[in-house]
Amino acid sequence: MPSRQAPRHDAGGTVPCRRSMLRGLGAAILSALPAMALAVPSDASPLRIGLTPVFLDSDTELLTALERFLTGRLGRPVALVKRRTYQEITTLLLTGQVDAAWICGFPFVQFRDQLSLVAVPVYRGRPLYQSYVIAQTDGPAAGLDGLRGHVHAFSDPDSNSGFLVTRYLLAIMKETPASFFRRSFFTYGHRNVVRAVASGLAQSGSVDGYVWDVMAETEPGLVAGTRVLHRSDWLGFPPIACLAGRRDAPEIRMIGEALLGMPSDPVGRAVLRTLRLDGFVVTAPSLFDPIAAMNDFVRVHA
Amino acid sequence: MRRVRLPASPRAWPLTVTVPLLVAVLMAMVGAMASYSVLARLTADQELHLRQLAAAHLDALALALQPHVARQDVWETFDILDRVRRGDGGGTIRLLVVTLPDATVLAATDPRLLPVGTSLPPELRERLDPGADLVIDGERGLAWFHRPIGGGAALGHVLTEIDMAPLIAVRWEVLGTLAGVNGGLILLFAAAGYGLVARILRPLGILDQYVERVRTGTAEPIPRRFIAGERNEFGRLFHRFNAMARAVAEREALAARLADEEKLALLGRLASGMAHEVNNPLGGMLTAVDTLKRHGDDAAVRQRSTALLERGLRGIGNVVRAALVAYKEPPGAVATTPEDLDDLRFLIAHEAQRRHVTLAWENRLDGPMPADGAAVRQMTLNLLLNACRASPPGGTVAMTAVALDHGLAVTVQDDGAGLPAEDAELLRGKGAAPLPQGGRGLGLWTVARLLDRVGGGVEVGRGPAGGTRVTVFVPFPDGRRADAAA
Repeated sequence: MPSRQAPRHDAGGTVPCRRSMLRGLGAAILSALPAMALAVPSDASPLRIGLTPVFLDSDTELLTALERFLTGRLGRPVALVKRRTYQEITTLLLTGQVDAAWICGFPFVQFRDQLSLVAVPVYRGRPLYQSYVIAQTDGPAAGLDGLRGHVHAFSDPDSNSGFLVTRYLLAIMKETPASFFRRSFFTYGHRNVVRAVASGLAQSGSVDGYVWDVMAETEPGLVAGTRVLHRSDWLGFPPIACLAGRRDAPEIRMIGEALLGMPSDPVGRAVLRTLRLDGFVVTAPSLFDPIAAMNDFVRVHA
Repeated sequence: MRRVRLPASPRAWPLTVTVPLLVAVLMAMVGAMASYSVLARLTADQELHLRQLAAAHLDALALALQPHVARQDVWETFDILDRVRRGDGGGTIRLLVVTLPDATVLAATDPRLLPVGTSLPPELRERLDPGADLVIDGERGLAWFHRPIGGGAALGHVLTEIDMAPLIAVRWEVLGTLAGVNGGLILLFAAAGYGLVARILRPLGILDQYVERVRTGTAEPIPRRFIAGERNEFGRLFHRFNAMARAVAEREALAARLADEEKLALLGRLASGMAHEVNNPLGGMLTAVDTLKRHGDDAAVRQRSTALLERGLRGIGNVVRAALVAYKEPPGAVATTPEDLDDLRFLIAHEAQRRHVTLAWENRLDGPMPADGAAVRQMTLNLLLNACRASPPGGTVAMTAVALDHGLAVTVQDDGAGLPAEDAELLRGKGAAPLPQGGRGLGLWTVARLLDRVGGGVEVGRGPAGGTRVTVFVPFPDGRRADAAA
């Protein structure tokens, strides 16, 4: 019988080391930005950039820092728009309610003909990341097949790493989540997947490998309750995208330039350090072909 | 410090102990009853507050959970429960679980214990009974409370398991405080009671001390300094005691004077007897002297006369020595010798002759005995004089002295008509009987007083051939005869 004592981790907050890092970052930005902030015309309509819960979205200090960085670089107000699901952000992007959005590779390939890449983050030297299938640290599962009959936590139905990859792996095994797992549910956040598995709510979960790795540094107590059971191939990192028709609009170009110039800017570097990213690059949409191939396979074999 | 040993029976305990003890016991009973009432009220209040708090808490929670439970959203349901449990600063919520109408778990704060999709254990399922509002398990220190989600529990239930330990700890804390305060008050009141009662009863102690002195023969009045502080009943009691003590002292003085007078009277009688004893041989001796003057040259006459003179002088010498020993030796002498008793024979001889009574003398003492010689002699002499008076002419008075293991016994027997009962009682009264009026029985009363002084006893009976037989027993002070000879 498992212990009634729930694992000790912070459900909503972050570990002190990240907080202190962010406080330092906030202070650096505040001291570096006043001149630029003053130069922003107050009557200009804000640029709206959508964010999916693809990265460490729970950190309001990080979001504030990113918003201030972009506002300073673009010389006009920037509003970061957050929603609970990928679908909501994708819809906002497709309907022009946001100028650009940091979305997942899966929605990008789903709406490839309507969207265009603005920039792709560089993680550990490449614009690539992996999807992890994680299980409880003390669970008996040794491979993917050991997850059969589990309660499984997915991140989001429109997430590549948090749903598509596992669904693809099951499709190869001629299974679906409904047939393979006893029960599955969506947590709408990669961090929530880690929480669900660590607490025992789910016995396994599908999670963004980048998020899991960063959490292993920032929230080691929480991540300690989970272990990586399967790592996917390297796939295109969730990109910043815009509507294809607005690809050449000045504000979109400015957004792209601001992102590409982050490593050369002290405040940008601080934001990148917090995100554990090296910078942003412009890549060809073919970077996401493997994701598109998985999606096609799943659609055919589901 | 003197260790006070309490008697086994509480009825014999001093008031200074029983009164504070009673106060302490009464206070302890009152304290126990008060503590019980306080604890009972506290328990009822705690349960009421727990019920109200849990109801308010779970009503709000059920409302917040409703949309997620309606969608059977495992994560959102868990997230809310988990945040609520973590937000519980008191740590009283042990478990929160949301169940569907079929009693399967949608989400619980401890998913390892209650995994998603499993049936709720029967023990917890009982808690979902609509009648089971707040269920408390006092032994395990747990309580359960539940609320339906959706109208009429259409969507499910939210159940909480509450740790009662903090509430039980508060009860123990209150009990500890009550016990501490009550115990302290009891001790305080008992100590104060002891002090007060001891203060109130102090005159009684003084009275007890002076009454005890009276019992041991010293009738002293209570000094004025003790009486001055007591204006209440004790003051009056002290005054009455002092009046009584004075009366006793006067009685004692009178008795002593009477005893002295009796001694003098006895001496007078003995002196006349002694004069007779001295006078008897004097005529013969003067005749012998006269014969010597006239026929001193005749050796035979001279020898006969000097022998006569010698016998006469020896007789006088014996009488004088007996008188000297009887009346010059201070009382409280450490030993009684056989001669002490034999001397009495000379003292009583005249009285016996005068009354034509034969003396039968059997002194079986074989050496000095560790008994008060003066007392033994005076008692024996008194008994002998009494026996001579009681015996008819031609009768016999017998004296027997025997050494026993732990004392010596002197028996005086006469041929008289028997000792009257009141006289026998006087003899047994150890001098506590009232002083005989008119001088009658003073000798026996003196014997009784002397017996009391030496701690001896008396036996009054009839002799084998009638008459009275009185035996006085004088114990050796250290209980052994051997030390006396040393």
